[in-house]
Amino acid sequence: MHFKKLFLLLLLFYPVISHSDENIGKSKVFVEKLGKQVVEKVSNTEITEQERHNNFKTLYLSSFDNYYISRFVLGRYWKTIDKGIQKQFVDSFNNYIVATYAPKFKGWEGTFKAVESLFENNYYNVKMDILNKDGPTLKMMWKMYINKNKEFKILDVNIDGVSMLVTQRAEFLSVIKNHPNGVKGLIDAMNKKTAGS
Amino acid sequence: MRIFLNNPLYILCLLGLFLFVSPTKNLAADTENDPFEKTNRAIFEFNNTLDDNFFKPVAKAWRKVPDFPRKPLSNLATTAKTPVSLANAILQLNRESMGNIIGKFLINMTFGLGGLFDIAGTQEFGSMPTVEEDFGQTMATWGVPDGPYVMLPIFGPSSIRDSVGIGVDAITNPLSFAYRMNGIGMEARLSGPVVRGVSTREKYLDYVDEMRSSSLDWYATMRSLYRQKRKKEISGQLEEENLSLNILPVDVYDDPELEKSIATENNVEDLILEEEKITETAKKTVKVAKKVEKTVKNVTKKKTMPSDGYANPNGSSESKFIDNSEIAKIVQDESRKIMPSPRVYNGVLPSSSYPGFSKSRVNLIN
Repeated sequence: MHFKKLFLLLLLFYPVISHSDENIGKSKVFVEKLGKQVVEKVSNTEITEQERHNNFKTLYLSSFDNYYISRFVLGRYWKTIDKGIQKQFVDSFNNYIVATYAPKFKGWEGTFKAVESLFENNYYNVKMDILNKDGPTLKMMWKMYINKNKEFKILDVNIDGVSMLVTQRAEFLSVIKNHPNGVKGLIDAMNKKTAGS
Repeated sequence: MRIFLNNPLYILCLLGLFLFVSPTKNLAADTENDPFEKTNRAIFEFNNTLDDNFFKPVAKAWRKVPDFPRKPLSNLATTAKTPVSLANAILQLNRESMGNIIGKFLINMTFGLGGLFDIAGTQEFGSMPTVEEDFGQTMATWGVPDGPYVMLPIFGPSSIRDSVGIGVDAITNPLSFAYRMNGIGMEARLSGPVVRGVSTREKYLDYVDEMRSSSLDWYATMRSLYRQKRKKEISGQLEEENLSLNILPVDVYDDPELEKSIATENNVEDLILEEEKITETAKKTVKVAKKVEKTVKNVTKKKTMPSDGYANPNGSSESKFIDNSEIAKIVQDESRKIMPSPRVYNGVLPSSSYPGFSKSRVNLIN
């Protein structure tokens, strides 16, 4: 009797289970594919800096949920600013991220190797090794989900227990707190940093 | 009084007392828990200057030293910390850490030529990780809160609890007793911590420079990095991912304002649609009312004109006046023409218009 119930229960959830299993595999492929694109389009030393910048921006905007990330890093201040400033912040933040990280990949050689993917709390956590050609292997974890358009979107990158999103938020909140112009001051600081890099 | 001040244990007890009586309730409201921020920033500036002018050049020079003797010296310094780590693992009753520390120590002391080589960390020995436990972690497992964030000169970021831990570890280190018993001076005693410090600085040389150059508030970044890293270490798990998995969701859900703002924003479109629906329905109702009013007016005009009665001199029995039921029927008919009757769930097949129908459930199954 118990076996029958269990069987029926498994039967009921079978579509959900198989759905998740399939996506777990896809999540690993997604991250590895992203790594290949980074090598081809961003690390490439034969392209100009502007091309590297543009390619990184395209990859970032298509792979990361930049709108969610922007809201997260602004914390409680998101609600205190109007829609115009919110948009200004998202744009400045995206440019800041691209200007900060795109040059770091110049000439980078290595491989993204997805080790494991776990589906927990509606998030796909892909553990991976970044195999640097000249350097130690870096262990990372990508936190992602599937959006309405059935696309993977990255929310956070975790390196050795340190969340980049949490770190970025702590930094931004401190800038806002210590700046007389608050969020506008943060936007100005980001724009200044972007222009300087 | 002089006796108390001369004894480091009493100073530690005082610090511990300060930790317990510190106004943690008030500080809890401050998410950063950094009430000494101004002083901390000043010390941080001092540390940065010291780092730029001393530690960084030393770390760069250390990097240029050939693998031999650089790696064996680093390994030796790490092995020298084993007694402290083991003592803390025992105090924490952490069997996993105890096993790892003892196992690694025995392998490296034998096959690794007295700790010069990290043989236990090689693949042949299962890539045993280096587990380090300190008294700050031990106190954390006992339930002692970390207290306010503090920036220590030279040592860097810490908390009140971890500062006490650093002191306790330094005093109770069995090697310290051995040094004292054998009359070994401070210069020799410091070699272990100095080598460990320089090795660690060398390890993070590139990362720190990159992060510092791109940071808008380096102090705040360091504070966050320290907190996250410490949280991971205190979890006592060898698999760091287990904790890091929880960082993002917990943080998101612990911020009701953000959650609410996200929820509100997601609902904006629904609210607009709802509003449009209500406006549409209202328009239709007004339209119906006007039409009904017009129809009723026409009918009543036709049938209730006083002249109608006089126009029938034969005294026909047919009523010349309209009754209420007829008006109600007209209203109903006109309403039906414009607004369809509401759909009611018949208990047989669910449809997407049925209120209990869950669209998300269907998407999940498909």
